[in-house]
Order: sequence, then C-alpha cells, then structure tokens
Amino acid sequence: MVDEIAPAPKSAALSRETASWLLFVLGAAALLTFPLFGAGEFTITLLTEGLILGIWAMSLDLLVGFTGLVTFGHAAGFGLGAYAAGYFAQHVSSEFLLVLAVSETVVASVALVAGFVVSRISGVAFAIVTLAISQVLLQIGVAWLSVTGGMDGLIGVPLPKLFGVTVESGKSLYLMVAVILVLVYLALLRLTNSPFGRTLQAIRLSEQRAAAIGINVHLHKWLVFVISWLVAGIAGTLLVFMKAGTTPMVFNWYESGYVLAVTIFGGLGTLLGPMIGAIVVTFLHDQVISLFTAWQFVFGLAFVLAVIFFPTGLAGVAIRIWSRWWNTRS
Amino acid sequence: MDWNFLFVIALNGVIYGSFLLLPTLGLSLVFGLARIVNFAHGQLYALGAYLAASLMRTIGAFWPAVIVAALFMVLFAVAVERVTIAPIRNRSDIYTLLVTFGLGLMIVGGIEQYWGTAAVLVPTPVALQDTVTILGNEYPAYRLVAAALSLTVAAAVFAVVQWTPVGLRIRAVADDVEMAGAIGINTRWLMTVVFGAAAGLAALAGGLGSPIFTVNLGMGSSILLDSFLAVILGGLGNLPGSAIGAFIVALAKNIGGGYLSDWSIAVIFGAVGLMLIVRPRGVLGRGRVA
Repeated sequence: MVDEIAPAPKSAALSRETASWLLFVLGAAALLTFPLFGAGEFTITLLTEGLILGIWAMSLDLLVGFTGLVTFGHAAGFGLGAYAAGYFAQHVSSEFLLVLAVSETVVASVALVAGFVVSRISGVAFAIVTLAISQVLLQIGVAWLSVTGGMDGLIGVPLPKLFGVTVESGKSLYLMVAVILVLVYLALLRLTNSPFGRTLQAIRLSEQRAAAIGINVHLHKWLVFVISWLVAGIAGTLLVFMKAGTTPMVFNWYESGYVLAVTIFGGLGTLLGPMIGAIVVTFLHDQVISLFTAWQFVFGLAFVLAVIFFPTGLAGVAIRIWSRWWNTRS
Repeated sequence: MDWNFLFVIALNGVIYGSFLLLPTLGLSLVFGLARIVNFAHGQLYALGAYLAASLMRTIGAFWPAVIVAALFMVLFAVAVERVTIAPIRNRSDIYTLLVTFGLGLMIVGGIEQYWGTAAVLVPTPVALQDTVTILGNEYPAYRLVAAALSLTVAAAVFAVVQWTPVGLRIRAVADDVEMAGAIGINTRWLMTVVFGAAAGLAALAGGLGSPIFTVNLGMGSSILLDSFLAVILGGLGNLPGSAIGAFIVALAKNIGGGYLSDWSIAVIFGAVGLMLIVRPRGVLGRGRVA
C-alpha cells in the first residue's frame, strides 16, 4: 500500500522497470489468449510454428548474441531433440514431460561431448566446426535406417499427452507451446542477468581479457553451448509433435543459417527481439511465398540489407524509437 | 577385394577433385586475402553452371558458353562485392560471413525463380562423346579432358600467385593488410578483383562440370561444403594445402561412398572437425588459425 502513496518518479509516471514488466505481462497475456479471439485454424498453426522458431532463435541468441559465438550448426540441437522426442513418442510413450526429459537427456549427452570440443575454438572456426557437427548428424540421420527412417525420416509421430490427456493440434497445442515459450523466455532472462550471463558477455567482448581476469573461458563456453542446445532441443521436441514427424533435412546447414538470420533480424542479445523476429519472419514467409516462388531471394535480400544497414535488428530499431519517445516525454 | 571397382571409384575421385580444386582455390584465396569466409561461393559456382547451360542452348556451342558464363560471373561478383561487402569491410569478419550467406540465399532463390526446381541436363560436347579404355574400363573421354583443363587452370592460378606482379601483391596483402596498404597497394581493389576472379574460377568449374554432374538447385550447397572441408584440411588461406585438401575430400567421398555408402560423409565431416581442432593450421601446418 505504501507504493500507492509514494511520490511518482521525477519525470515519468512509470519507472522503466515497471513499464517493461507491464509490457511483458500484457505481451504474455496477449500470447496466451490469442486463440480465444476467433483466430482461424491456419493462423494458429502458423503462429505455433512462429513460436517454436522463437524458442529456437532465443536459444541461439544465448550463443551468438550474448557469448559472441556465431554458429552455422545450430540445427544440430534442434534436430537431435526432434529425432529423440519423435522416436520415443512413437515407440514408448507420448507423455510430454517424459518425452521432453528423454529428448533433453539425448541432446545433453551429445552437447556435452560436442561442446567440450568446440569450446576450445571461436570465430570462423567455431562457425564451421559446428556446421560440420550438424552435417555429421544429418548423415547419421540418413544412414541409420533402422532408427531414423533414413531420408524419409520419422513419420506419424503421435500427438503429445499431458498427464494422460491428449493435447489436440490447433488451439491446445498452441497454448502448450505459448506457455513453454514464456517459461523459456523468463528462464533465459534470469540466466542472462545472472553473474553467469554477465560472464558470457565478458567473454563476448574479449576472450583474452575475460581469461586475464580469471574467468574460465573454456568452461563457460562449454556450459553455454550445452544450455543453448538444450533450449533448442525443447523447440525441436515441440516441432516433431507439431509436424507429426521430421526428416534429416532438419539438420541441413541452411536451417542453421535460417535461424541465425532470424535471430540477427530480430536483434542479437535481446531475447525478445529474436522471438518477435521469428514470428514476423514466419508470417512474412507465408505472405511472400504466396506472391513469389523465390522466398529465399526475398529473405536473402532482406537479410543482406538488415546486416548492412540495421545490424542491431528489429529490437535495435524499436529501442531507438522507444528511447526517442521516452526522452521527448520526460 | 575388387581392385577394378576401387580403381574406377578412385578415378572418379580424382576427376571430382580436379573440379573441386577450382572453387576451393577461390575460397582459399578470398579467405587468405580478406578473411572472408564466402558462404555464397557455392552459389556462384551453381549460377555459373546454370548460365553456361542456358547460353549453350541459345548459342548452340559448348566452349564459348562456358567461357562467357565464367567471364560474366567475374563481373557479377565484382559488382556484388563492391555493393555489399566493401561497405562493411571495417566491421567484424562475422558480418561479411553473414552477408555472403544472405547473398547465397538470394542467388539460389533467383535460380529457383528463373530456372525452376527441375535439374537441367547438359549434353556432352559432340567431339568428346566417346569413351576411352583405361585398364579395361570404358571411361567417358569428356571427363578426362575437362579434368585436365581444370587442372591446367588451377596450375595457372598458382603461377599467377607465385610469379606475377599481381600475385606478389596478393601475397603481400595476405601476409599483412596494413603493411601492404602502407607500401601503396590498393588493398580494397585487390580484394574486389580477387573476389571476382574466385567467382570466375568457381563458375568455370560449374560450366566444365555441367555435363558430368547434374545442374541442380542443391549443387551450390554441396560444393560449398566440400570446398570448406578441403580448405580447412589444407589450412585456411594456404593454397597448396587447399589443393591437397580438395583431393583428400574428393577421394574420401568417392572411395568412402563406394564402400560405406551414406556413412562416409559423416566420417569425413567428423574427421575434418577434429582436424580443425588438433591441427588448426591444416595438413601442411602452414595455414592460418581461423
């Protein structure tokens, strides 16, 4: 109650912190209640796909935006999650939490090994070695017929169950994805604002200086790599349920490039940017592809222009407008 | 063991290696000079092949079509470099890498829009449609001729880099950009020129290879990955190493593919990934650490 009679901050009616929390609550509420407002089946499916891409992009933001490790192999954790979840759901149980636990265990075990190796390198070498890892997984997906189904991939993955109740595709699945997205966002927000997150940013600014002040760079890169893959694995798990299957092409380096482009387009190091970027790109994709067949051309052009003229992405542009508006008001 | 089978797949490997050599040298030159990892390189190769295929149909001649397509790609790449890569030179290397990725998307999207998704078949030049007999195996003559041409061009690239004034400048810039600039080398233009030349080499390989390998949408991405592997094996920016790398990749891919089928590429990628970590300067130990 004290808050109410306390004098308002000097210039603005709301403090910046309160304003951003208010925005977050509004955004989350809008996200969760969206299907109630008579959105069509197609829009909901599209949005579900956008949100899954959003989770994936946020996981990449942790690696690229916060730690400065650009990768062209981020499809690896995503695809691994999709395959592990799909296989388990087909052969054992489609109880979502159980599936998630299993797929995350698989992702974690591969990420621990891969991360141990790649945490020794950075820059261009990191981008290419992670690409190679993802291609290895692609080829295993093609070659290991008895488990992965070869080029056809996993087909006919059942819908997930939540405590025994099947989550129907459409609104129910959308809600599940939206809730997970909000949880992932909050967790990553917490993580990036923790001492661990600050350490990652120190590593991004300069590995040598970070090492010089006593940070174990190798260990931190290893950890963030594993965490990033785990979050990507969640997105992959959701995708395999949404699409009822997956093919080895989920590991294609173009997929990795796509999610990287989406993340940069949204705004590196902001979490919210890549998430919104993912939704925007998903809808743009739908619009553009109905006009041209050459979606890749339009997307590539937008990406080139974004990197040259707006390297801070959507978030950067939004922050610029926001702070200008804020400053004129105060 | 069937030695004859091994011989034929090894020969196929050598032929593929001769083609892979040209894009690989281009990739390596551009990296050595400008620290650009050119993700659009594979698509420049693909565009060269598509252009050559279309020109062949229009003018009805094979060799002029291949050469004109390659020359056009030089101009195209020079323009692209000036407009998109030169303006962001002073930013971190990773930005150029991202821009080239976007350019690659644009090219492959453009190809899809213009030529469609179906593979384009290119007939072998009439004079070279025969086969020759090597150790009892019938082998298409065109493959041998095209591979020999490709090797000749690669040798010419080495000669230019080693013995001409331009080559001297290229080596100087690769060694130390700032120092090279200080002694009066126009580094910006040199980078543009090398970028264009690399695209021309890739496009030439695309055109020469078009009757052997199908011209399709996936060709750019596939050759890019192989060139990456070759360049990494050879040590980034090291030309002789890259050449060796190209043949290692091509032989491993063909021989491995003959015995291990789908598993072979997984093994190669795994080996190269490890290579980059345990021996980051490449097989000759003279490349740059990325």
